[in-house]
Amino acid sequence: MPEPGRVVPVYAVTGGRTRSAAVDLPMESLVMAAAQASDGMQAEYRQILEMADRPVSLVEIGSALQIPVGVARVLVSDLAGAGYVTVHRPDATRGDGRPHPAVLERLLEGLRAR
Amino acid sequence: MRADGKAYVPLKILIAGGFGVGKTTMVQTLSEIPPLVTEEALTTASVGLDDVTAVPGKTTTTVAMDFGRISMDDLVLYLFGTPGQDRFWFMWDELARGSVGAVVLVDLRRVDDSFPAIDYFESRRLPFVVAVNSFPEADLFPDDEVRDALALRPDTPVVRVDARSSGSCTRALIRLVEHSLRRDGAGPAGSRTLASASGTG
Repeated sequence: MPEPGRVVPVYAVTGGRTRSAAVDLPMESLVMAAAQASDGMQAEYRQILEMADRPVSLVEIGSALQIPVGVARVLVSDLAGAGYVTVHRPDATRGDGRPHPAVLERLLEGLRAR
Repeated sequence: MRADGKAYVPLKILIAGGFGVGKTTMVQTLSEIPPLVTEEALTTASVGLDDVTAVPGKTTTTVAMDFGRISMDDLVLYLFGTPGQDRFWFMWDELARGSVGAVVLVDLRRVDDSFPAIDYFESRRLPFVVAVNSFPEADLFPDDEVRDALALRPDTPVVRVDARSSGSCTRALIRLVEHSLRRDGAGPAGSRTLASASGTG
């Protein structure tokens, strides 16, 4: 059974691009670094790994690198496929894709505590 | 590198409404980070409907959206100001998918501007609250009149906000989450799943 905030399974990266897998990644998906950048790694990948020292979303990455979200999505998929980052997708255990009531309850608590 | 083992859960809420109604201000007020702008490439499908028709030879443009963030332990809530123009509906679909719901900001001097957003969320059955932004004459109209003017369904909450006040904006978000929960009812099976997965924090 899928768990909320689960980590995306490692993508099968073939020849670099992972278009079909990347398309499914919602723009608020959170990216966390799981490994150090390696020598000779492309600048964009390095930047993403630096940012992902704490959880950052695809939109934040896109904004920081000044690239469209779609491009950030492909770069993150590459990194996930190679094991450099883990990706936390939105909780989508409900049929209509909306957040689960138990998650909403926790969100409510969080907002009330502010 | 940080391996804190937390199962982070991203969430999103849309801040919608007509042009100049205070969407950007509200995102700014609530966000813990300086609000950012992101871009999505507009597909060629929009050619003919978009400004690009005025620019010979240009077939693409980008949609800029502003967004902010509120972190609460392992929950990370993103707030997206929806692109104002109706022609960006395709963008709204991606924003709306999986979202908690929407806050539709309304300026009572220009209620018509909020109809597209209200229609959109009603037709998609996405929970939303109507937030009357505190422009000068907003207090003159009681909630009942606001409901009538906007032809709202009886269960749609109406709240008053000052988009510049963090407490006021937070209360609007709380009303939205409450509304969203009330509409869903409880899901005991799923709650058990979550309880077992949320003990990591």
